[in-house]
Amino acid sequence: MATLKAAYLNELYKISKKKKLFVAGILSVALIGIISLILLGINNLAGIGMTSKGEFALLILPFFEYTIIPLFTAFIAIDMFNGEFTNDTIKLTLTRPISRTKVYLSKVFACATFIGVFLLFTMLTAIVISLFSEFSLSSLIKIIIAYVSTFIPLFVFSLMVMFVSNFARGSASAFLISIVLFLAMKGLEFTLPTFQSFFYTAGFDWYKLFIGSYINLSKIIRLFFIFAGYTTVFLFSGISLFDRRSI
Amino acid sequence: MDFAIKLENLTKLYKNNRGITDLNLEILPGEIFGFLGPNGAGKTTAMKIMTGLLLPDRGNAYLNGYSILTDYENAMRDIGCIIENVCMFPYLTAYENLKLCARFYPEIDENRLLWSLQETGMLAYKDERVKNFSLGMRQRMGISLAILSNPKILILDEPLNGLDVEGMVEMRKLFKRLSKENGTTVFISSHLIHDVELTCDRVGVVYNSKLLGVEKIDTILKNYSSLENYYLSEVDINGNS
Repeated sequence: MATLKAAYLNELYKISKKKKLFVAGILSVALIGIISLILLGINNLAGIGMTSKGEFALLILPFFEYTIIPLFTAFIAIDMFNGEFTNDTIKLTLTRPISRTKVYLSKVFACATFIGVFLLFTMLTAIVISLFSEFSLSSLIKIIIAYVSTFIPLFVFSLMVMFVSNFARGSASAFLISIVLFLAMKGLEFTLPTFQSFFYTAGFDWYKLFIGSYINLSKIIRLFFIFAGYTTVFLFSGISLFDRRSI
Repeated sequence: MDFAIKLENLTKLYKNNRGITDLNLEILPGEIFGFLGPNGAGKTTAMKIMTGLLLPDRGNAYLNGYSILTDYENAMRDIGCIIENVCMFPYLTAYENLKLCARFYPEIDENRLLWSLQETGMLAYKDERVKNFSLGMRQRMGISLAILSNPKILILDEPLNGLDVEGMVEMRKLFKRLSKENGTTVFISSHLIHDVELTCDRVGVVYNSKLLGVEKIDTILKNYSSLENYYLSEVDINGNS
């Protein structure tokens, strides 16, 4: 456990030193600001009530969930594998007294932490902007539940990218394959609606199930098991590839 | 007898038929062993297998009695190495790169970290990003990273590459001192035959994926005018058989 913790702290340290983290932060704040200004403009000038400002954090969630967060998660995950294999820095970790499985898990945990922090940062920024107007406690609870539950599909996505990173030859191809896979699953959801529930991408907006007036428990449980299944497959396939990878 | 390094029938052949075939070798604790051979002879392949970076087709490597295949964490616990090239995170400083490695060894404190930089003459550059380092400085950093944990075994692939004459002498002295004072086993691969002659207690000649012979430097120098002559003789007699 001590070596796993050491590797995890190292991964977090490396992420914290990357420019991507600051770019992600600045981009998020800028986008949240721009979206809020647009909504404010529409509300005030056109007189169209797009959203009550208490729901602003929920309104921007799907936009961030489908764009900025998976994009930067993919960058981070690919950097952890393809990036380190390409410039050989992976040797610095692999020649230490730690098994490859633990190295892989440390990267998974670090990526999960990145997603969690990114979601928290987005949520807090949106809440701060929302605070300038009416903001009720019920909204706050809804917002927290929505953002916390959104972590799971994004985590499964990061595992998929990590798995892809372990068979793709370079960073660019890993990124491309990951995006194509994601879009293919999204496309198949619509072309094969019967099998929609087999794709984890169908659960990207499952947070809506928690915050609606009626909670569909059976659907939540089914989606949870879909996520668990994909997590198991991507995690163990990724570890298996990583374990046999020659350097 | 407990060997520091034991290689048993180590075999790894690539598609181009290069690699290493049936490598058997035993190295005693505290010994400085030189692994000599031309480019593509299989030196780096053997070292990669010894440090778990590459899986062998067959055979096994034991470090301090632990199998690299079945007991990796214990096998690597007391190992410091440079394999192929010195790899560091370019966006981090020398100190930060060392700190990342130090996390795996709870016994390493600040003094040890600074000591490893001091020993290789890199203390003055500890706060500089490694992306700005010259080849020689990178090599010195690689040695700092290897000696950081006070390992029982150092596995060094061409450790003197890119070093100036002064640096080569300093590092040679360092390896000899670690071997003498701490009982550190040093396994060095090099094509710099003169340096191997001055540094090592024993050498093994590897050629065309095979280990041709292993001999003590003292014995070689009794029978040959130089290590170079021994090497050429071994290659000439056994190399193409």
